Amino acid sequence: MATISLKRRLGEFRRIGSDWTLLVGLLVVVLFLGVAIIYPLSKMLGVSFTAESFAYYVRYFSSPVYQGIMWNTIQLGLVVGLFGTALGFLFAYVQVRVDVPFKKFMNLMALMPIISPPFAVATAAIVLFGRGGLITYRLFGIRYNLYGFTGLTIVLTLSLFTVAYMNLQGMLRALDPSLDEAATNLGASKWHVFRTITLPMLIPGIASSFLLLFVEAIADLANPLVLGGDFTVLASRVYIAISGEYDIFAGSVLSVILLVPSLTVFIVQRYWVSRKSVISVTGKPAGKPTMITNPIVRWGLFALTMFFSLLILLIYGTVFVGAFTELFGINYTPTLRHFEFVVLGLGSQAMMDTTKMSLIATPIAGVLGMLIAWLVVRKHFTGRSLIDFISMLGIALPGTVLGIGYLLAFNKPADIGSITLLPPLAGGTAIAGGTIALILAYVVRSVPAGVRAGVASLQQIDPSIEEASISLGADNATTFRKVTLPLIRPAFLTGLVYSFARSMTSLSAVIFLSTPYAKIMTAQILNEVDAGRFGNAFAYCDILIIMVLIVIGILYFVVGTTTGVERDFGVSL
Amino acid sequence: MYRRIWVLVLCVTILSILAACTAPVPPTTAPTQAAAQPTAAPAAGSGKLTVLCTPQEDWCVALTKAFQAETGIETNYVRLSSGEAVARLRAGKDNPEFDVWFGGPMDGYEVAKAEGLVEPYVSPNAAVIKDSIKDKDGYWTGIYVGAFGFCSNKDVLASLGLDVPNSWDDLLDPKLKGQIAMAHPATSGTAFTAFWTVVTLNGGDIDKAFEYFKKLNNNILQYTKTGSAPGPMAGRGEIAIALIFSHDCVKFQKEGMTSLVTSFPAEGTGYEVGGVGIVKGAKNIDAAKKWVDWVLTAKVQEIAATVKSFQLPTNPDAAVPPEAVKLDTLKLVNYDFVASAAAKKGITERFDAEIAPAPKE
Repeated sequence: MATISLKRRLGEFRRIGSDWTLLVGLLVVVLFLGVAIIYPLSKMLGVSFTAESFAYYVRYFSSPVYQGIMWNTIQLGLVVGLFGTALGFLFAYVQVRVDVPFKKFMNLMALMPIISPPFAVATAAIVLFGRGGLITYRLFGIRYNLYGFTGLTIVLTLSLFTVAYMNLQGMLRALDPSLDEAATNLGASKWHVFRTITLPMLIPGIASSFLLLFVEAIADLANPLVLGGDFTVLASRVYIAISGEYDIFAGSVLSVILLVPSLTVFIVQRYWVSRKSVISVTGKPAGKPTMITNPIVRWGLFALTMFFSLLILLIYGTVFVGAFTELFGINYTPTLRHFEFVVLGLGSQAMMDTTKMSLIATPIAGVLGMLIAWLVVRKHFTGRSLIDFISMLGIALPGTVLGIGYLLAFNKPADIGSITLLPPLAGGTAIAGGTIALILAYVVRSVPAGVRAGVASLQQIDPSIEEASISLGADNATTFRKVTLPLIRPAFLTGLVYSFARSMTSLSAVIFLSTPYAKIMTAQILNEVDAGRFGNAFAYCDILIIMVLIVIGILYFVVGTTTGVERDFGVSL
Repeated sequence: MYRRIWVLVLCVTILSILAACTAPVPPTTAPTQAAAQPTAAPAAGSGKLTVLCTPQEDWCVALTKAFQAETGIETNYVRLSSGEAVARLRAGKDNPEFDVWFGGPMDGYEVAKAEGLVEPYVSPNAAVIKDSIKDKDGYWTGIYVGAFGFCSNKDVLASLGLDVPNSWDDLLDPKLKGQIAMAHPATSGTAFTAFWTVVTLNGGDIDKAFEYFKKLNNNILQYTKTGSAPGPMAGRGEIAIALIFSHDCVKFQKEGMTSLVTSFPAEGTGYEVGGVGIVKGAKNIDAAKKWVDWVLTAKVQEIAATVKSFQLPTNPDAAVPPEAVKLDTLKLVNYDFVASAAAKKGITERFDAEIAPAPKE
């Protein structure tokens, strides 16, 4: 047995060796994953499992206060997962199954959070619905306390439900309408069809949306910092431990405690729930889905979706207007001074640095994403699924956890004995002023979206097309270049768009890595929000959103194609 | 078709190169150059200066801009609150990324001195500064002084049926539940000043101070990162009282938050001496010394008022802004910076473990 499997392995190595595209591709990917994910993660885990850190575990698990924080974190994840999925489902259902006006507008509002920086929703929510809020206090005279669990739930639900929306919309569109028709022909009512056919078919999608939202909600740092009130969560504790005390043991131990639920839930989502799908993709769904016709249901759903769409519009409207207002909530005199402060003052460097680093990270992440997708779908080698899994860690890991890993791994040179393998990459004294670690973090966070888009796209392309090319005499590289690449171009573009948007808006993974020579816009926004200069924060958000839109526009202009993303963003451009 | 992809990659590359090369030099800190040639940035004696700046951001901007214009030294800064600044210096101890630390209460500098994070430099311009507000060896020198106070929104207080607080005990009124904000002492020097003031008022009994803040915790809405951050929260009417430095309260009033009023506890209030010190192992030591000399001059200390920072200047020749809170009208506690610095780490850790994350009763 052993010899047979050994022989197979050896044969595999020979095969990899003879297929140089596979060899080079594999080397690049393994090197990237090793340096950018495995190494920092193992550094962090190393610190969290030392004699010193053991005392921290004892302290955290025995303290009722920390037990409360852990429970808070889980609770927030569960509630945001629930509400976010419900809201995403509502938007997706109306989009696919209800014939109402303004669908494009609703779709656009549902997608806004992708290009929106963190803090935008939270800050606008404070000035609109807080104790001194424009709506709650000035309009209704209520001094409503937004800080804490309720406010966090509302803001996180509105900022994260896009994930559920896109997921469920795709599934709803893929549902075969003939099942509905069959049931209706057999005399089932619309409600009965919805309850016994549509919903059960969507259960895997609903479950996976819920779990993804759970992971994102417990990892979120920006909103708890701004809106947490007395509701403390693990992510913000990690931040305080590092930025307030530079206690790497506390930071690492809390990271591990945060890592356990997020990784568990991610694995459950990825390897169990998403495999349970009962939807058989047989190409295009046969026929058009039956629309909801009952006027009460139809207009009820319309009103509900419209309400949330207008709420989102109001929030982003506030972000936009607030940037041109002297002191939103107190003094509405129009002014350009916030833009002056941001563009001519301290913000210019952060803007330049963030955009430059994102522009460098975007093509790298795009190419790597396609490469990994290609290896995973088309090539057969041992460790294929491991590569897929590790590349997905970029989003499965909470940002603060990744950030601490980078801090520990790249602030000092990586040595084996006396040989320096890597010079320091992070921190102000590192080469390139610490930009390399930042770009690496951006790439890691962006690659998963590209991989998923690439995998989905490649799975739909029949390998026989590629085989035809090879049998006609083209080598692997030419086939990839001339056949595969053009076919996955839409996925590549999707990957690029998400990479850029994600890099520009990410905070938690990079907040510990910013240096005097590499400033990050989102970290500047945090400073402005925390210091209460909301006008400046709004101006930053406006500029960031506009820059992301411009770059997306350029990407379409250059790569121009028809993909889902273009449909989604096309309206806004 | 694949050609378009190469065109795209090319375009992005060209764009990023263009962005790196043709970026206009912003008038403030000319940071793009540092970013464009970041490899040159950490080089020793390169005529550059990196300031770790703790006061409000607009002051940092105004000073670095003026310094660069006057000396031609390319000046860059990062704003961090006092506690964060010490943490950051600690993190970069072996290979510091900053040259000089500017602003923030003395306690932080004393911690930095004890941990070997700052190095001594006695500026010739420090001679005019009173001995009580500078380190005799020059580890830090006082650049401004300001008193701690209560910054209240009078409208919110009126709606709660309360008067402007005049005592530490006034803050414990159950009517103020969720109506007070202060910063987290781990990140903020302001909040630590508040804590040590209460310690001093209790005859140096740290446990008693913890008892007080545990009670106060019931009325706290949120612990912010930056010391002055509660001010705008009060200004917007989200809370009734912000526990901040009085000069920050005046600043927010002047910036349009007209409902704010400043008051002081009758038992006595604390104060800060904002300092400046050179980071140990600074790469640009000459520029750092020049900065210290420069910020101690009367002319430079007067820049503060132009960005509505109304602390009292330490240079006796500098004009005192009329908006400044005069210390001789207040009852000040006998604030022992050395003792507070020695106790700081223990206090912030305990505060972080026992009070900040604790649920309200």
